[in-house]
Parts: sequence; structure tokens; C-alpha cells
Amino acid sequence: MPRLISGALRLRRDPRILKLPPYLSLLCILVGAVWLFLLPLQEYSRRTYISENALLPGQVHTYFGGSDQHVFRAYKHEVNALAGKTNIEINTELESIAKGLGLKVSRQNFTYTSAGHVYTGENLYAILQAPRGDATEAIVLVAAWKNAKGELNRNGVPLLFTLARYFKRWSLWSKDIIFLVTPDSIAGPQAWVDAYHDAHDSARVDSLPLKSGALQGAIAIDYAQESRFESVHIVYDGINGQLPNLDLINSINNIAGGQMGMGVALQEMWRHNDQYPDRLRTMLRGMLKQGLGLASGPHSSFIPYHVDAVTLQPFGEGWQDEMAMGRVVEGTFRSLNNLLEHLHQSFFFYLLMQRERFVSIGTYLPSAMLVAANFTIMAIALWIKSGQRERGDDKQDKDGKAEGEGEAEGKEAGKEVGEPSSASVAVEREIFLPLGFVTACQFLAFLPLYLFNHAPDSLLTPLFTIFAILNTLLPHVISSFLTAYYTPTTQQYQLTKSFSLLLLGMFLSSLATLNFSLSLLVGLLASPLTFMRPWPSSPAMRIACTVLLNAIAPTAVLVASAAYWQVGVGEVLREAAFAWDVYGMYSPVVVWCVWWPAWVAGSVIVLGRPAEGRGKVKTA
Amino acid sequence: MRQLFSFSLLSFFSLCFAFLATAADYHEQLVLRPLPLSALLASFNFRSNTTLSAFEAHNFRFFPRSLGQILQHAGTRELHLRFSLGRWDAESWGARPWNGAREGGTGVELWAWLEADTDEAADHQWLTLTNALSGLFCASLNFIDGTRTTRPVMSFQPEGDHPNATDTNTHLLYGVLPHEVVCTENLTPFLKLLPCKGKAGIASLLDGHKLFDASWQSMAIDVRPVCPPGGEGECVLEIEQTIDMVLDIERSKRPRGNPIPRPLPGHELHCDTSKPYHSGDTCFPADSTANQDWSLSQVFGKTIKGTCPLTDPNVPPVCLQVPDARSVYISNGALEKKNQDGVSRCFEIEPETTDFELLLPSPEDLPADNLQAGQEVENIVKPETPLLYAERSFTGHGQERGGVQTILRNPSPDKEVEFIYMESLPWFMRIYLHTMQARIEGTSPSDHDPLIQEVYYRPAVDRARGTQLEVRMRVPAASTVFLTYDFEKSILRYTEYPPDANRGFDVAAAVITILSPNKNDTRSATYNLRTTSLLCSLPTPDFSMPYNVIIFTSTAIALAFGGMFNIIVRRFVAADEGPEVSVGSLKQKLIVPLRRIFARVKPGPR
Repeated sequence: MPRLISGALRLRRDPRILKLPPYLSLLCILVGAVWLFLLPLQEYSRRTYISENALLPGQVHTYFGGSDQHVFRAYKHEVNALAGKTNIEINTELESIAKGLGLKVSRQNFTYTSAGHVYTGENLYAILQAPRGDATEAIVLVAAWKNAKGELNRNGVPLLFTLARYFKRWSLWSKDIIFLVTPDSIAGPQAWVDAYHDAHDSARVDSLPLKSGALQGAIAIDYAQESRFESVHIVYDGINGQLPNLDLINSINNIAGGQMGMGVALQEMWRHNDQYPDRLRTMLRGMLKQGLGLASGPHSSFIPYHVDAVTLQPFGEGWQDEMAMGRVVEGTFRSLNNLLEHLHQSFFFYLLMQRERFVSIGTYLPSAMLVAANFTIMAIALWIKSGQRERGDDKQDKDGKAEGEGEAEGKEAGKEVGEPSSASVAVEREIFLPLGFVTACQFLAFLPLYLFNHAPDSLLTPLFTIFAILNTLLPHVISSFLTAYYTPTTQQYQLTKSFSLLLLGMFLSSLATLNFSLSLLVGLLASPLTFMRPWPSSPAMRIACTVLLNAIAPTAVLVASAAYWQVGVGEVLREAAFAWDVYGMYSPVVVWCVWWPAWVAGSVIVLGRPAEGRGKVKTA
Repeated sequence: MRQLFSFSLLSFFSLCFAFLATAADYHEQLVLRPLPLSALLASFNFRSNTTLSAFEAHNFRFFPRSLGQILQHAGTRELHLRFSLGRWDAESWGARPWNGAREGGTGVELWAWLEADTDEAADHQWLTLTNALSGLFCASLNFIDGTRTTRPVMSFQPEGDHPNATDTNTHLLYGVLPHEVVCTENLTPFLKLLPCKGKAGIASLLDGHKLFDASWQSMAIDVRPVCPPGGEGECVLEIEQTIDMVLDIERSKRPRGNPIPRPLPGHELHCDTSKPYHSGDTCFPADSTANQDWSLSQVFGKTIKGTCPLTDPNVPPVCLQVPDARSVYISNGALEKKNQDGVSRCFEIEPETTDFELLLPSPEDLPADNLQAGQEVENIVKPETPLLYAERSFTGHGQERGGVQTILRNPSPDKEVEFIYMESLPWFMRIYLHTMQARIEGTSPSDHDPLIQEVYYRPAVDRARGTQLEVRMRVPAASTVFLTYDFEKSILRYTEYPPDANRGFDVAAAVITILSPNKNDTRSATYNLRTTSLLCSLPTPDFSMPYNVIIFTSTAIALAFGGMFNIIVRRFVAADEGPEVSVGSLKQKLIVPLRRIFARVKPGPR
């Protein structure tokens, strides 16, 4: 063992070690990316299973149907008659229906302001008190009046009331059932859930006058389709990439797929043949949604409060009718009703690639961690390197050669490895300028964050255009400013890069545990920053690197993705501002405060012209 | 002499019994009251007396011996025991039966006045009492330990007369088990205490299947000494057993063999025919007006098996509270007597009747001349508005701290309500008393005169006793008051978690005792109500984790031990002090022994 230690100590001083990090970083990135593509393989993913035995999905007979369809038709007539009326008129009518069923009804007003728009509405909710229970626990059934696409939830709302009437007849409920009708799919549920947990700003969102116990689960019905359906689409993405417990998805899968014989789709994969390409596509779509962190339906708002929730969307042309959908909800509610404990058994961190295949965090996390680690490795390597006097520098000092040849000398130094004496010379690090620069970049990042979250809607596109142009020019300006006033040395460039990468690596690896996909996405897009360095002697390389960096700039990526999905940049920014204001999506923070400063630092380094001279030599 | 004395004593007692038996030592009554939204309140009341002297001489007649002996053993002067399930829906059903005096919060509630010289002695007797009652009623009453016992100061007043009691030797103890699930095994011992058991009289209707399918039910036992006014005559010990239940008529009418609420055939649905789209396959339900007809055998599954022969014949066994306009059909051998108030009637059952059946037809079935427009609202007696509505819930989220918010609404337009709000909280909810505030809806707390008038607070001691909080406060007329306070959740030791599935910890209902508005009165309670219980989730370790921890620590110890052992037994030198480690030296090291071996194997030249 001591021999091993001394061997390792000797190895540490070996200059060959310092040549290794760039290759190691590259290896990390490659392995991280390849790892991801291995996940959909049969050997690396697992089959889903029900972990919580109390759920017993699909074990009960469902009786919803028969004459309940007559009632459903009547409620549908009522809902159709209300189409196009104001929120208040709709709620007044729905309230009378709910009261007629013997439920406790209440309403809640909310107003949100974002990007100059005011989002206002009134939620209606009705509580079915568990016949023999006390108000300690509750499950929620949500139907937004308008779904996430803005269509009238034509069948979902009547189904909610028909189910309410049906559930009232049972005496087996151990938990209260709350029926919630919101005017829209995002702001309404958010206001309600916030108020339920008293986490709301009472100036904008009313408190709830009527409450029940702790929420144990929520199902949202998004059934705007007019005709009969074939399969159910389970939407499970929560805000900021949080996911509901896998047991909930598995239970619905079991009930809809197993008991009812419907198809189940995930991530808008309407057809899935369970082969590698489809699995990969499902997984990547899931990761993209998770990475963006946007709310995808009425269920999304529940997940941050540890209330497991999904939205069920019927789709396709088939022979399943509204009653079948009702039975899926009934079966799921019976399962949730069985729960003795809060859903905690199964996974909260997973990637689904087919309705019955998933990978858990232990399997996929190394991918993002490796990508994040590449920055840290490079940062540490640069820190060590900046503290050592390279052989080339000695010569440079002695001969007083032109600065441009420094790099060539560096290469020579690489050939002359094996001379241990050169490594033992240490250099004092001048960290003030690099530290100041990196800090300034980090603080500068609050500017776009504030700007895009607070600017009114009409100004967003012009502001973004101006910002994108400034963003391209900014590194040039900073670089010439630095060269003119501070004449930074190679060591200072190295340290700047080291600090910047260190922060990036740190942020991304901690982010990977919260939102794996966002961390991986940003990590991959920022990975070229690891290999950026000043090119004082090669203008071609400098230009090439600058072009590359501008192609992967946060602004450019934003424009490219907006173009890919054929939405305006203004639309994307408005959505992001809405998400930030209403439900606290933190992706903009990651983009502007983690990625963007690292990008600016990287761009400045590429344009850098290191001056001659290093810090004072001190002997180790 | 002694014989003579005992004989005279005996004859005296037998005389007494003969006298008391005629003067109604036992009576029972069932009051049925239809409630809005097709619910039916059934209140069973059984009351029996014994003189205190007979009680002390262990002469039990109507008073159940099993309970009597426990009370004597534990020195109990007055006892109140409650088993409750479900919620009273005050919004729809109005004021509570018995003004809330005969009900408890969800689970089991027990309070008693014990005679003891010191607090310690009282605690000891309380322990005896709870353990004995636990055995008698098959309930986990023995879990009412020090952490669940409080000594209320303001909330409870004795119901009975205690002429000899002084403050120093009577102790009120109150214990509550919110998590206890009340079920059939609690009903059976309850019925056994009755003189006719469940065999005859109104108790024959009581059946676990129906009782525990009720939307709300409360079983109460109250034992109290009652002295005749003016101090004349002998005091009696009265035991009152009460069962209140609210049945959902539709649910109760389902046959027992087929309790599943299958959808009705389309033509049997009650529809609102005024809707323009009404047709054979489209039906807007009109459930609220449905199910107003019922009979005893439909909702209880059986008829009343005659009368209990021991009951006081002057008290009618069954009463029904419906407007006089509605007709009621009863079986032969019974007599209907309408009361003066116009909304109730009672039925006397002749002793030889074996089955009593009562049928209330739905208003539509009434003869046409009786049914007039505008009578629909008069089908049932309009429920009385309660003095106060109370709703309690948790605020906040997360595992670290939270808050409790109680919404108290006074529906009266001109009368202020003054009451005592009592919470007995488990010790792991550490409340911050300074955060307690009461505010009228729409105002800030400082805007008006103080709503909280008096606070009695006994802080919790970890693992020894719970928090007791009693607040005397008022709610002005026609206003809603929010009473809020914050608390912190403590972390339990892993052995303190119950072994069953971790659902959370139930927090007992708050008890609200409304004081009589007359200030000169002895502040007696006029109305009681209880909020629902709460479920408090504490930071819970994932119990599979200890297993992982064991594995991790074992691995870590193994690694650390290996390293430590190595360091202890080896000598360390710096790398440059030690022998050169290089390929050359390695080669040397290999070559030398090899040569030696070769040298041995090869016979050298001799």
C-alpha cells in the first residue's frame, strides 16, 4: 500500500498526466452520450411492476355504465349549452349541478400577471365527503374546462359530474373525493393547489374556504375528443421535470391496458412497436419535456406538492366510449382508495420508454454525471496546469520569442516529457482577474433573466433580437477590453476557464439529481466549452471556434428550437415567462445563470490574446 | 339482632326496588328524523337508574354489573365514553342531536370525574379505568396513556350532581384515541349492557352492518349521579346509552345480499322531465327529491321485535319527526299519537306485538287532495340552524412545520357566540403559542376588540404528555373567525413509529363548548360540537433504509479496518528513502531468487 501511494505521488508529478485530462473529458462526454443510447436496449431497461401491494390495480369490478350513460348525455347537453359563456356563468350552472348531487361546493378566484397579460379565472370545486370517513385524506379528480391546447373539454367535464354522482352511491370511500373544474389547464389548477397548501400569494389567489385532508393523488381527465376512442394517453410530466410515482402510472397502465383492454400511450407516441427506435424516441421525448420543465396538463401543478398526478387523454378512433373512460377512472380511484400510506414505494426518478419498460435513476444518472464531470476534470486539470511552469515558458522567457510561438513551444514541451525537473517549478497564480471576470459574468446573467421574465409580450421579440445581436458582439467587446486594459496572460486565461468550468460542472452535477434531462441537455450543448482555448497564432482556428460557439449559443439554440417546432421566439419567451411567473419553472435560471455565463467565458477565451510573461517563479 | 338487621335491610331494599321499578327505572326511545338529501337520523336512547346505596351495596338490577364494578373499583363518580365514526354534515343536517352533548370526535373519547386524594392517585385510577374499559368494550382504550390524557380546565362541566364533591378530591381526566376505528366488536359489548340486550325493543334494530354503514354514527355511554331537586329523596346513579346514526336512505335500502350500487335500469331513474333534451336515453337526474320513502325494515333490514318488557310503558318507544301532513303507515298493534308541535308523532306498541313496522311513503304517493303546490319543501322538518359552524384543517406543506386553521362561522344575524375551544395535541406537534391569532374574515387581527378572551395552555413534554390548549373566545354575530396557529413537527425515534403502515398520525378533534349567553349563569354548556380529526404526516424514514445503512457501514468498516490494520503493522518510509521502485529493481528482485533456484537445480561443477 505505501508503495502504491508513493507510486501514485510520483505519478502525479509526471507531466504525462497533465496531457490526459482533455482526452479524459472527451471520453466522459462520449461515454455519457453513448450510455444514453444504450438505455432502451432490452438488457439495460427493466419491466415495470407494481411496488405498492395495497394498490391492487384492476382487481375490482367496475360498475360505472348502464343508465349512467343517460345521465352523462344530459350533463353533456348542459356543458354544450354553456360553451362560449363566461367563466362565472359556467361555474354558476355547474355549481347548481354539483349541489344537486349533494356535494359541498365552493369557488376560488385567481389572477396572474405575466408578460403584460392578465390571466384571471374562477375555479369551482366540490367535495364528496367520504361517507364513513373523517376529513383526513382526499383524492382529486380534475377536469379543466379548456385543455392544454385550448379545446373545450367536451366530454371530460360531463364525465366528471357523472362520476361524482356515481361515486356518491358507494360507501366504501376511505378518502374524500374532490372534484375540481378549472377554467384552464395550467393557471387554474396551480392556483387551487397553491391555495390548498397555503402557499399562495393571497393578493392574487383567493384562499380556499372549504378544505379536506391531505391530498393523496390526483387524476385529470382531458377528453375533448368527440368520437369514440381507442387508447389512453398518459401525460405524466410535472413542473421542472418532476414526475409522479411510477406506481400510479403502472396502476393506470394495468387498469386501462390489462383490465379494460385499451391501448396505453406515453409521450405522444401514438403507435409503439416496442422496438429500439420507438423506445429511444419515447425516452428522448420524455427527456426533452422533462428538460424544458413546462407544465403539460392540469396534473403538473400537483406534483411539486408531492401529490402524485397524471392526465388521461383518450385518443384514436376505436370503439371505447365515455363509460370505458369512466371505468378507468373508477378503477384508478378504487386503487388509490386502497392506499394506506402515501405513494412512496416505487420510483420518482425514472425514464419511461414503453408503457411497460423503464430505467431508474441508478441506471441513467451516470450519463449526465459523466457529462458534468468532464467540466470538473478539465477545471481541475487547468488549475494544476496554471500552477506549473511549462518547459516552453522557460524557453520563452529566456529567448524572448514572439508570443505567437508559445503554443508551438507548448507542443515541444509535450515531446520533451520525462524530464521531471520541469514539473517541480511552481508559479504563483494571479487569480484576481479570472475570478473577477467569472463573477461578473455570473452577475451579468441576471440581466437577461430579469429582462425576459418581466418584459411585456409585445417587446419580447424585439428585445430578444437585440439581445441576440449583442450576445454575438459581447465576447469581442469584452475580449478587446480585457486585452487593452489588463493584458491577461495565458495563465489567467487558463484560470478563467478553470473557474468557469468548475462552476458549470458543479451546477450541472447537482442539477442532474433534480432534473436529469435538463442537466444532460445543457451539459451536451456546453461540452465544446471544455476544449476552447486562445488561438493567438491561428486566426483560422479562432474564427472556426467562434462560429462553433455562436452556433451553440443559448440564443441560437433558442431560435433553432423555436424554428424546429414552428413557433415564434416571442411565443417561446412568453410561455417561459408565464411558467416562471405562475408555477416557478426554473429552466430560465439554468439557461441564463448557468449556461450563458459559461458560454460568455468560453467565447472570450477563444478570442483571447495572451500576453507574454507569467507570474513570479517560486520554487516548490 | 344482626339477622334481624340484615333482614330488615333486605326487605327495605326489596321495597325500594319495588318502588323504583314502578317509578320507571328503565326506558328506551327511538327518535327518527328524516334529514335533507335523503338522509335519516335515528337516535336510540336507553336510560336506567339505580340508587347510589344499592350501587354501593353491589345490588345491580338495570345497571350493568360489569360496568358498575369497574366504576366502583376505579372510584369513578361520573363517566362519559364515546365511540364515533364519520362526520356530521352541519351544512345540510343542521344542529346536532342532543345539542352535541352525546357525541365525540372520530375514534374513542373518554372523560371521567375520579375521586382521589392526589393527582398521582387519580392517574393511577385512570389507568385502572382505561384498562378495564378497554377489556369491556374491545377498544384500545388502554392506549390512553399519559401522552393522550389531559385535564381540561374550562371545557367540561359535570352533568350530574356531586353534593359531596370538593375540588380537591375530584379529578377530571380526558383521553382521546382519534385513530381507533369503531366497529362491530364495540357494538356487541354496548348492547350487552342493556337490560333486554339486543333481543327485544328498539335495540333489536341495531345491527353492525347498518350501523357502521351509516354516514355518521356515535355511541355514547354516560354515567352520572342524579339527585332529586331540593335534596329530598335518594340520589340515583343514572346510566344513559345513546346511539345516533345518520343513514343514507338510498344506501340503506339496498338489499344486504346485493349492496353494490349498480346503475339503475334506465326507466327507474328519477329524471328532471322539464329539461328540453329529456328523452329515453338522456336523463338529468333529480336525485335530491328521490328516496323520501322508507320503512323500518328497508333501512334497518328488520322490524322492531316487540317492546322490551322492562321498559317504562309511559314512554313511547318510537317517535318520528315529520310534518303532520305526511301520512305514516304502521303495523297492527301500535298506536299513533301526534304531538302538539305539529312536527312529531310517537307510536305506542302494545306489549304482545311481536313485530313493529313503520312505513313512510314518499310525498308523491300521498293522496292527491293532500298534495298541494308548495308543499314539497314541507316534506321534512326543516333542520334547526346550529349556533356555530366549525371547520378545521392544516395549512402549509412539508415535513418540518405546519399550521392549523379553524374557521368558525356564526350564522346568527344578531347573537354573539361565546365558547371554549379545546385542543389536545400530541407532543410531537410543538405549537408556537405566540403565532395563535384570531381574526374576523376580511380584517386584520388588530382591527377589533380581542376575540380571544382567555387562554389556558399546558405545554407538551416530549414523550410524557401532550399539549393542552383551551381558548375562551367569541365570534360576533354574522361573522366568520379564523383561528390559526403554527406548529413544528418533531422527529420521532424509529421505535416510536407504529409497526403498521405509516399513514400519518391522527390528531384528535377539537372540542368546542358553547357557553350559555346568560352571563350570570354558571357558564354551563348549551351546545357542543367537534371538528374533524386531522392527519399529521411526520418526517418518516424509509424503513428499508436501515438495511442499506447496515450494508454500507459494514462495507465501510471492513475497508477502514483493512487500512488501519495495515498502517498499524507496517512501517512507512518516504519514497526517496526507500528502495528504488523501477522496472530494473523489479527485474533484479525477480532474477535473484530465480538464479538461486536455478543454482540449486543445476548441479554445479564440483
